[in-house]
Order: sequence, then structure tokens, then C-alpha cells
Amino acid sequence: MTGLSDESVDLIEGSTLADLFELYQRRFPALTSFRSSLVASRNQEFAAWETLLSAGDDVAFLPPVSGG
Amino acid sequence: MPTLSEMDWCELLRGPIDPNAAVRHVRADRDGALVTFDGFVRNESHGRRTRYLEYEAYESMALAKMREICTQIHNQYAIHRVAILHRLGHLDVGETSVLIAVSAPHRAAAFDACRFAIDTLKRTVPIWKKEFFEDGAVWADGELPPAPLPPEAAS
Repeated sequence: MTGLSDESVDLIEGSTLADLFELYQRRFPALTSFRSSLVASRNQEFAAWETLLSAGDDVAFLPPVSGG
Repeated sequence: MPTLSEMDWCELLRGPIDPNAAVRHVRADRDGALVTFDGFVRNESHGRRTRYLEYEAYESMALAKMREICTQIHNQYAIHRVAILHRLGHLDVGETSVLIAVSAPHRAAAFDACRFAIDTLKRTVPIWKKEFFEDGAVWADGELPPAPLPPEAAS
């Protein structure tokens, strides 16, 4: 949807996963309708939206999984 | 000394899965039971004829979650060794997408652990499949992994 598979972003100190998602929502408004069906991950582990981010964190916003 | 789960085999493969290799990896003389789960591509989905599937993954996390499943089932069941193999890319009807093999001294633990492993994989491992039909393609309905509690509530 965004055409991106990965990229790096600079955030202000104290940013959360929710803040980062908002940043992308502003760039890609179509993401807004998917927020409730996404789960966030930080450093290969599912994480709450309130989780604080640190430099070097690896973040993903994941849709429902359908492996197997 | 290696931990139990270090002897397990988790891998994402781009080519065909060899079930015999998984069986050979987990089977040992100390075991008396071995259960495998072979998940493969069905020829239809919700009444539409499937031509093929394409699987993709967030690979680093998918592997981490697969290893986590191994650790979990070692903790919960009296098993010996586990193999969890998942294929990515283009899969035709009938081809194996996921293969799980669990060995144990006794059958009950092997059955239970294998069932837990596939059920957990389908809920928590970031892999996605796109279904290609005669008249279009859709991302398969999936399950939203359980979101953890906020950091302050979790501790």
C-alpha cells in the first residue's frame, strides 16, 4: 500500500509506536482505516502501541497473519 | 551444554520441504513416538478454485517466533525434539507449505505439542499468503496476533 518494504526514520526522544504510526498515517492517509486491524512489533516481538522507542529499534506494523 | 531447543530445527525455505529430512532430524532411539503435521495447498478456498498461493514473511521475526514456539513446547510437554519448516514464495496445489515434526518418548506429548505448535504458528508467526484464483487474487483472511499489554501494565 505504501510501496515501502523498509526505511529508517528519525524520531524525537520519547516517541512511542503509536506516534510512529501517526507519522506514517500523515504520509499515507489510507493507513488510517487499517489501524484497528494491525498489531505493532518492536525488535521481533509484538509490542503495545504505548511502547517507547529507542535508537536502533526495528519496528513493523503487521496485518493479521495467515501462515500455515 | 546446549539447551533443549537449540537441537530443534526452524527454517523458512524457498524450495520444496522434505518431510523425511524433518523426521530424520527429530527421531532418535530414546523416543517412542513421532507426530508430524503436513499443511499443504488446498485446491479451493470458500468455493473458488485455487490456482496457486504465494507466501511471504517478515522473515527475521517469523524465525524468532518459530523458535519461541519450540521453547514453549519444550517447557509444556515431555518431548524430545522439534522441527518447524515453512515454505515461502510460489506454491502449487498439493505442495507442503508447513511441516512440523515432534518426537517424544510417548505419543500423548508428541500429539499435544504438535497440535499446540501449528495452532500457535497460525496465530503468532508473521507469514502471509495470497490466494490466486481463475478470476483474481486476495490476501487470505488471517488472525490478528494477540497484542501485549501496555508496558506499565505488563510488569
